[in-house]
Amino acid sequence: MMDCKHYRAALLADPAAVTAEMRDHGSGCAACAQFTQRIQAFEARLQRAVRLPLPEARDAGRGASVSPLPIAASASGRRVASRTLRWTALAASFIAAISVGGLLWLAVPRSSLAGDVVNHMAEEPEAWRRTTAVVSPAALDAVMQDAHMHLSAATAGLVSYASSCGFRGHQVPHLVVQDPSGPVTVMVLVHESARSPDDFDEQGYRGEILPVPGHGAIAILTRNQRLDAAALDRIALQLRAAIRWTN
Amino acid sequence: MRTGIGENQKHARFQALCQSLRPDLLRFALWLSRDRSVAEDVVQEALLRAWKAQDALLDEKAAKPWLLTIIRREYARTFERKRVPTVDVDDLIASEEPALAGGEDPDLVELRLAIYRLPLEYREPLVLQVLMGFSTAEIGQQLGLTTAAVLTRLFRARRQLRVLCGEDVSQDPEDDGL
Repeated sequence: MMDCKHYRAALLADPAAVTAEMRDHGSGCAACAQFTQRIQAFEARLQRAVRLPLPEARDAGRGASVSPLPIAASASGRRVASRTLRWTALAASFIAAISVGGLLWLAVPRSSLAGDVVNHMAEEPEAWRRTTAVVSPAALDAVMQDAHMHLSAATAGLVSYASSCGFRGHQVPHLVVQDPSGPVTVMVLVHESARSPDDFDEQGYRGEILPVPGHGAIAILTRNQRLDAAALDRIALQLRAAIRWTN
Repeated sequence: MRTGIGENQKHARFQALCQSLRPDLLRFALWLSRDRSVAEDVVQEALLRAWKAQDALLDEKAAKPWLLTIIRREYARTFERKRVPTVDVDDLIASEEPALAGGEDPDLVELRLAIYRLPLEYREPLVLQVLMGFSTAEIGQQLGLTTAAVLTRLFRARRQLRVLCGEDVSQDPEDDGL
C-alpha cells in the first residue's frame, strides 16, 4: 500500500501519470486528496506558463534571411556553387516557409477537439440562456452518474443546465454555470486526453481545453468576449474541485 | 540535380511537419537558452540541418524527439563555436521580463521567472514534460538518464518552483533521496 510521502513525491514528479495505486491512496486519504487539488491547480498554471508568447514579428523577418553558403570561384567550384546555390535556395525557401507557416499555424484554430466542442454548442442553443433557475440535484446526479462522476452542487456554483450528451462516441456531462459575467459552458471529457491547456477562439466562442491528470480533460467556453482567461481558469478549477470521479 | 514530383511531395510533407512543430521547438529553445536571439538562431540552424538530413527521419512519429535532439546539439554547438559570456541570472531575467509577460497575468510572469531560475538540469526535463508532452522514459532517452533519475529531477524541479513562487510546501515530501 502506497504511503503519503511516496504518493506526493510521485504526484510532484508527474502529476499527469496517476496510477491505479495512487488513485486508491488519493481516494482514501483526505489530506492527500487536498494536496492533489493544490498540485493540479499549480500544474494548470505551469502548463500555461511554459507556453511562452513567441516573438512573431522578429521571427517572420528572420525566416526570410538565411545567410547564403560560401560560393567557390573555380570552374569545378562553379558546379559546386551552382548546386550549393540551389541547395541554399531550397533551404532558404524551406526556412522562410516554416517561419511564415509557423505564424499562420499560430493564427488558425488547430485543435479538432476544440472544434468539435464548439460545433456541439451550436446543437444546443437553449443552454446559453441567462437564468437563475437551478437544475434539480436529482437531474444533476443523473447526468453525472452517466459519466461515473458526482458533482458537489455546493462548490460547483449555480448550474442552470445539465445534459448527458453524445460526444465523440461517449456520453459526457454538458453543464452551464451561471457566472455573474454570464453563462459559461463546461464539458467534462473523461475520454479525451490533453497534456497542456489549449486556448481557442472559434465561431464566436472563446475558451480552453484543460487537462485533468488521470481523468481526461475539461472544456470550458463562453460567448462573452469580456471574460478573460483567468476567470475561465477560476470557473474550471471550481468545477474540477467539485467533481468526484467514482469509477 | 533534378527534383522529381515524389521528392517535392516529400519535401512539402517534411515542411508541413516542421511548421506544425516549430512554435514549441522555439519555446523549448527559449527555455533552454533563456535568450531570444540565441533561441531563434538555434532553431533556424537546427531546422536547416534537419532539412538537409530529412532522409534520416524514417518515421514521422519520431519527428519531435529527432528535432529536439538536433536542437539540443545545436545549442551545445553555440557554446563550442563562441565563448558565450556568463550573465548573472538576475540581469538575464530583468532583460527578458517584458518578453516573458506577453500581456498576461502577473502569476504567470512570476512562474516563468521562477522557471528561469531553475538550474538547467531541472529546467530541461520539466519543459520536456510539461511543454513537449514527453513521458518520463522519453525524457530519459533524450537526456541519457534513467527513469528514476528523471523522476527525481522532475520532483526537485516542481518543489523548487513551488518554493520560488511562495507556495505552501509544508505538505510536500522532503527531498531526502526519493
